[in-house]
Amino acid sequence: MNQDLLMQLKGVSKTYVMGEIRVEALKESSLDIYRGEILVILGPSGSGKSTLLNLIGGMDRPSNGDIVYKNRHLSQASDQQLTQFRRHEIGFVFQFYNLISDLTAEENVALAAELVKNPLPTREVLSQVGLEQRRDHFPSQLSGGEQQRVSIARAMVKNPTLLLCDEPTGALDFQTGISILQLLKQTRDTMGSTVIIVTHNTAIGAMADRLVRMRSGEIAEIIVNESPLPPERIEW
Amino acid sequence: MKVLNRRLLHIIKGSRSQFLGLAVIIAVGISLYIGITTAFFNLSQSQQYFYQENNFADYYFYVVRAPESIIKQVERVPGVSLASGRIQKDVPVWKKDQERATLRLTSYDLPLDKQVNGIELIQGRFFSPYPAGGGIEAMVNPAYFEANGLTFGDTVDIIAENRKYPVKIVGTAAGPEFTYIMKDAANLLPDHETFGIMMLPLNQAQHLFNLPGQFNQLLVQFAPGVDQDRAVQSIKEILTPYGNLASFPRQDQLSHAALEGELEGLEAISLFLPLIFLSIAAAIQFIILRRMIKTQRSQIGIMKALGFDNAQIIFHFSSYAILICTGGALLGIGSGVLMASYFSDLYAMFFNLPRAIGGVNYQVILYSIILSLGLGALAGFSASRPILKISPAESMRPQPPSSSIRSLVEKCNWLWSRLSSSWKMAFRTISRNRFRMLVSILGISSAVALLILSMFTNDAVDYLMDQHFNRESNYDYMLSFNQPIKESELLNISRLEGVELIEGYFTLPIRVYQGGRSEEDVLVGIHPSSTLKHPTREDGTFIPIPQEGMLISRRSAERLGLKVGDTVELETLLGLGPNRYAQLKIVSINYQLFGNESYVSLAQANRIIHESQLITGALIKVDPGRAAGIEKALSDMTGINSIVSRQKERDNILSMMDSMIYMVGVMIIFSVILGFVIVYNSAIMGFNERKRELASLLTLGFTRQEVAGIMWKETIPQALPALVLGLPAGKVLAELYFSSMQFDMWYMPVVIYPLSYALAALGGLVFVLLGQWAASRGIKKLDIIELSKNID
Repeated sequence: MNQDLLMQLKGVSKTYVMGEIRVEALKESSLDIYRGEILVILGPSGSGKSTLLNLIGGMDRPSNGDIVYKNRHLSQASDQQLTQFRRHEIGFVFQFYNLISDLTAEENVALAAELVKNPLPTREVLSQVGLEQRRDHFPSQLSGGEQQRVSIARAMVKNPTLLLCDEPTGALDFQTGISILQLLKQTRDTMGSTVIIVTHNTAIGAMADRLVRMRSGEIAEIIVNESPLPPERIEW
Repeated sequence: MKVLNRRLLHIIKGSRSQFLGLAVIIAVGISLYIGITTAFFNLSQSQQYFYQENNFADYYFYVVRAPESIIKQVERVPGVSLASGRIQKDVPVWKKDQERATLRLTSYDLPLDKQVNGIELIQGRFFSPYPAGGGIEAMVNPAYFEANGLTFGDTVDIIAENRKYPVKIVGTAAGPEFTYIMKDAANLLPDHETFGIMMLPLNQAQHLFNLPGQFNQLLVQFAPGVDQDRAVQSIKEILTPYGNLASFPRQDQLSHAALEGELEGLEAISLFLPLIFLSIAAAIQFIILRRMIKTQRSQIGIMKALGFDNAQIIFHFSSYAILICTGGALLGIGSGVLMASYFSDLYAMFFNLPRAIGGVNYQVILYSIILSLGLGALAGFSASRPILKISPAESMRPQPPSSSIRSLVEKCNWLWSRLSSSWKMAFRTISRNRFRMLVSILGISSAVALLILSMFTNDAVDYLMDQHFNRESNYDYMLSFNQPIKESELLNISRLEGVELIEGYFTLPIRVYQGGRSEEDVLVGIHPSSTLKHPTREDGTFIPIPQEGMLISRRSAERLGLKVGDTVELETLLGLGPNRYAQLKIVSINYQLFGNESYVSLAQANRIIHESQLITGALIKVDPGRAAGIEKALSDMTGINSIVSRQKERDNILSMMDSMIYMVGVMIIFSVILGFVIVYNSAIMGFNERKRELASLLTLGFTRQEVAGIMWKETIPQALPALVLGLPAGKVLAELYFSSMQFDMWYMPVVIYPLSYALAALGGLVFVLLGQWAASRGIKKLDIIELSKNID
């Protein structure tokens, strides 16, 4: 496994204050993220995995601790700097796709492509996710799996260093879920992006290079998987 | 139902800014409705009451002099229900401050109950025909009394038949023909300091003018439903031997025409203006409710599953609109009553009606409640119709994809392929919400059009003033003499120090005949070389005075269907010497803004009356530094009937216009509020339904400003054409408004200066910016963390 360090989370924690209630969503945690790895973050709901993903993706700042990405301290970055970070380094894939309903598959991808200077060719990315024939369809005319493919294409087109996936198969049936995982692995293999998948589905951990188990808002263990399974051999 | 009510409160709380905005629009509509309708209703009622109480004349006949015995003969004409003879003449007044004024002496024979055009005592007491200590007693109109600082018991010196008479003022009175007091149609507004009505006993007037047992005006009331034309013809025949000078129906009576014009204007806007606000508010409520029902489909399904019936749920949603309208109506009634009282004060200033024209009109308030609740119910129930079709089981499943979300712009491939994705998004969103777009465009254009409507009266009056004071008339003073004089006699005046130019004119009342019809007019003879007065074409350019032929007034040309090149027959109605006849060719039509006068050369006017070099008045241009001295010298001259100072006329109009400025300001504020609410609602609806999508753009790396930019892209394609459309729409609205109140006494062109268009567009831009800004504030609060959570 390539050991080129991409991001370091050093003792980060996150506490949300909601009125008079303080929720410690993530207790002090540290994690190194390497270039080109598939990292699966596993845990039941409420375990802090999405909070961790949001911190990695620059969607939120930690309450304490430091996040260092390519010598930049994201924990102290301004809103503008975080936006630039998301724009150029991050691709997000959500459980519920979050596509723009008024744009076709191709236009959804093109919208993201317009954000960066050197995007990948939109059509090419669409054909990589197997949607070249469906490119003129609107999200409402696509199946869940197809919408998730558009969402992955939208993330990929910016050629991000980090592809962050929050329960990417959560809303999909088994077969479709497997094909999405294959697509994610293929993305890592062809483009060299780091893929981080957050899921409560333990079976998915089998495809990871490393597995982060979370429990009650903290990292319980980090397991290095010496022989990751190809997604098509995973079952749940 | 209690739970549903609580739910409704939550919905209102969640959309409180939209709720409030719409309630304000309804309030504006309702207050305009109450304000204008109450004013119309009250004004029109006090007019009718006043007319009825005082036997307001249906027809006026002016003669040189006729014996009172004729009246009995006129009363026997079939159709005539009442006839009165009286003396009415304008006399000069020597005021204490040495200034000149004109009083229109009007006689009354006591008791008044059988008199056509009676009067009512306002203050003081009635005149006595034979005062104990001798002399003459009279009453004046309250405005003249006040403007000249008179007190009861004061004497006013008038000149009648070249003799000065002191007249004791004992009271003030009002009459139906004096509701709007102007000397003639050449004035736009009353000037109470220099013109008033003096009411005195018939016997005294007959004595003053040396007309014992005679009258010079006959007023007639007809029985309802009679053939007036035939009766008028018979009366004219009776009066012919007595020098029938002029005759005209009630509609041509100046005061009545002014009041009717105002009433027509009020009536025209009383429903139309509020309806703009109310219908836009209703359309937006409809859109909001439809949207709400669509997004809350599954919740409606749950309600149905729980056992709520259709009627309960429909009423629940419709109540949203009904509550907006109720809130709006409550706000609107308060401000409407205030507005009505403002209007009443304004009308009390313009129209002299003794019966109170203020007061709350409960009927109008009741109508306004019915109007607003009806509109709310209509918007609510019609928007709630889809609730009927929602089945509990189906509502839980996701909605089928909307069929066509392709935009019209997509048809133009060339353009579409060049648009960025965010523009494509904007166009698709717009075309998916076509009704909302239509309401936005119509609404924004209406608001811009209303801005123009609010501002254009200023332009029209400014144009009118400029045209009248700076172009058509260049004189500083207009004198009229007690009787015609030779032009050479003007030397006395031209020798006064500071008089730069003096031009004589001859005013000749005439009757114009054309194809069996006739029309009374005023023919003015001026020198073809005159620089102090200019007849004008429709486009405002000057028409040279021809040596031969006439420039006919717009009104006569329109009424008699005359055109350039026609030859008409004229009859003079001077009242001095025999009536003369002449045939003149129409050289051009005079569109002068004030006065409706026809023009000939001074020589031609003299030829018509078989005279030479006679004038009835003079126009003077003076050195401004010496104006006061000249005015004083002129005031001291006998033989001058009246002196009109152009500067005073102008000041008077300007001060009257000042009172209109508040209304203009209020209308501008109303228009901006309307525009703001439309833009805000449209943008906030777009924002609310796409919060999730917009937040997902933030995760992609869009900045919040870029997201705000995307919202702008949705507003611009609607706002821009609407702003542009609003400008010509404003002109059309202004034209409709003027044509609704166009009386042919005055020619009021619809003039809108480019500055007003620019200001209206700027105002539109301001409300678009404000509305959009208010709606995009939510972008700051967009939470991208929420995205990872479940939908709904």
